[in-house]
Amino acid sequence: MNPIPALRFVVRVALQNIVRNRGIAFASLLTVTLTLLGAGAAVGVVFALDKVLQQEESQASVLKVFMADHISYASALNLEHSLASEPSVQAASFENKDQAAAQASSTLGLGGALHILETSGGGNPLPASINLHLKNIAAVTAINNQVSTSDLLFPGPHQTDYNKDVIPRVEHYILAAQLGGAILVAVVGAVALVIITISVRTAAFVRRQEIEIMKLVGATDWFVRWPFILEGMILGVISALLASGVLLGVGVAFGSGGSLALGVGVRLAVLISLGLILGGAVLGSFGSLVGIRRSLAT
Amino acid sequence: MSISTSPAPPRSQVAETTRPARHEPPIIVFQNVSKTYPNGAAAIRDVSFTIPPRDFVFVVGASGAGKSTIIRLLIREETATKGHVLVEGQDLARLRRRHLPRLRRKMGIVFQDFKLLPNLTVAQNVAFAIQVTDPGRSHLKEKVGEALYIVGLEDKLNTFPTELSGGEQQRVAIARALVHRPRIFLADEPTGNLDPDAGWGIVQLLLQINHRGATVVMATHNREVVDLCRRRVLAMEGGGLIRDEQEGQYLKEGEANL
Ligand SMILES: Nc1ncnc2c1ncn2[C@@H]1O[C@H](COP(=O)(O)OP(=O)(O)OP(=O)(O)O)[C@@H](O)[C@H]1O
Ligand SMILES: [Mg+2]
Repeated sequence: MNPIPALRFVVRVALQNIVRNRGIAFASLLTVTLTLLGAGAAVGVVFALDKVLQQEESQASVLKVFMADHISYASALNLEHSLASEPSVQAASFENKDQAAAQASSTLGLGGALHILETSGGGNPLPASINLHLKNIAAVTAINNQVSTSDLLFPGPHQTDYNKDVIPRVEHYILAAQLGGAILVAVVGAVALVIITISVRTAAFVRRQEIEIMKLVGATDWFVRWPFILEGMILGVISALLASGVLLGVGVAFGSGGSLALGVGVRLAVLISLGLILGGAVLGSFGSLVGIRRSLAT
Repeated sequence: MSISTSPAPPRSQVAETTRPARHEPPIIVFQNVSKTYPNGAAAIRDVSFTIPPRDFVFVVGASGAGKSTIIRLLIREETATKGHVLVEGQDLARLRRRHLPRLRRKMGIVFQDFKLLPNLTVAQNVAFAIQVTDPGRSHLKEKVGEALYIVGLEDKLNTFPTELSGGEQQRVAIARALVHRPRIFLADEPTGNLDPDAGWGIVQLLLQINHRGATVVMATHNREVVDLCRRRVLAMEGGGLIRDEQEGQYLKEGEANL
């Protein structure tokens, strides 16, 4: 079979189907667009929440172990090594008093106060510390208990600025967004699928004479199917483009700086659009396959 | 169709007799075939016959006798409930669905209602059969022209079916059925919607197609045609085959005229 004229035939029939049955085709377009809009928006929201969670987790998983002022550099290094070999620790780094002071003046703006203290003979009040990057925030408590018995350490708790409430709450939101998105997409998607199926079934009904003749003169099942599958695919892809357009429009309108609304970057936006196009094509062709099945039954 | 008083063409006009090839293996075999439709209607019962290549066969019988069912079994639109239907030695019950197109391309099929596409011209209707089975086949125009020449419609290429007489429409359908050069030509009541002259023209055409080497099976009510042609007759009654005669007539010799 020569592919070029076959393709021409398939494309022409598919486009004719859409134009001739534009009422139902428009309904398919609308519902598939809604489905994909829901899916795209859900992905964006989950992404934004996930970013918040990641930030929280990365902050929480840094544990500063403060050291007593009197310990020697060697014993500090020793402690660092032993902590670094703990299975729950990803990396450990030593921060001496000067580095702590520099850090405090740059990030906390305490430069002036520290300067006054040092020049007035008070010295640097900030303790040296070992900064531990934990593999998992769940290990924070265990490590904390373990090091707090050592006499090398600065007395007191070695807490992080970990906010216990935030992480579960964000996780909760993510779950809700994922669940809500999934339910929305499932419900609207089912409706979209049914409407695409009806749309293709209508097109097949309008063409029942042609289909009958095609089968009679020996056209293959796939040759009969292809125009209808392409019809569904075209409707799906157009819907995806519409949905992407709306999402991008909203994203740009509410975005700032280099990113779209919810902090979605260009890369993710492109990925979401591609995903929607793929989803639209799959939804469309699947609906078509179901819609055309009955016409090929005999 | 009623028995017409219009002048029937003289016997001499019937195309030259083609000798069926009885020494060759049969091209069509019905072996104790029964067909019961899903609703329980027993359309044909225990029907057996063989058709040699290049035979010309009329299938006759009253309405509901099972003529169309025989055609539908041959094109594998239906499958036998019992027995075997063989075409060129292939048992159609065992034919895979994906090989169905190959079977159909061996066959030319026409019906009482022509089944032309009204929004396509004569030439496009004929070309359609090629476009949907063998797109990109070269010399499409020539093939279409040739088929329309055989049926005598080479000057109606750009006419639409609705602008043609019934007989001409059936000729277009025959031309479409011819483009694959079928070895088997099946016609279910091809003259059913036509006046006697037009119907006779169609039968002439089928005889000519037979003469060119195709096996022809024509289901018909048309007594005049059957009696004039003196070809093989399979007579059906209530789903059973009651008569198989080589140079038969519509009614059995001496049977009461209905
Ligand atoms: N698709 C079907 N489903 C159920 N019963 C059917 C079907 N097609 C035919 N029949 C029945 O099978 C029997 C034979 O029908 P068939 O169409 O073969 O007759 P026929 O000889 O072609 O009649 P006609 O001259 O009216 O065309 C009839 O009793 C008919 O009612
Ligand atoms: Mg019939």
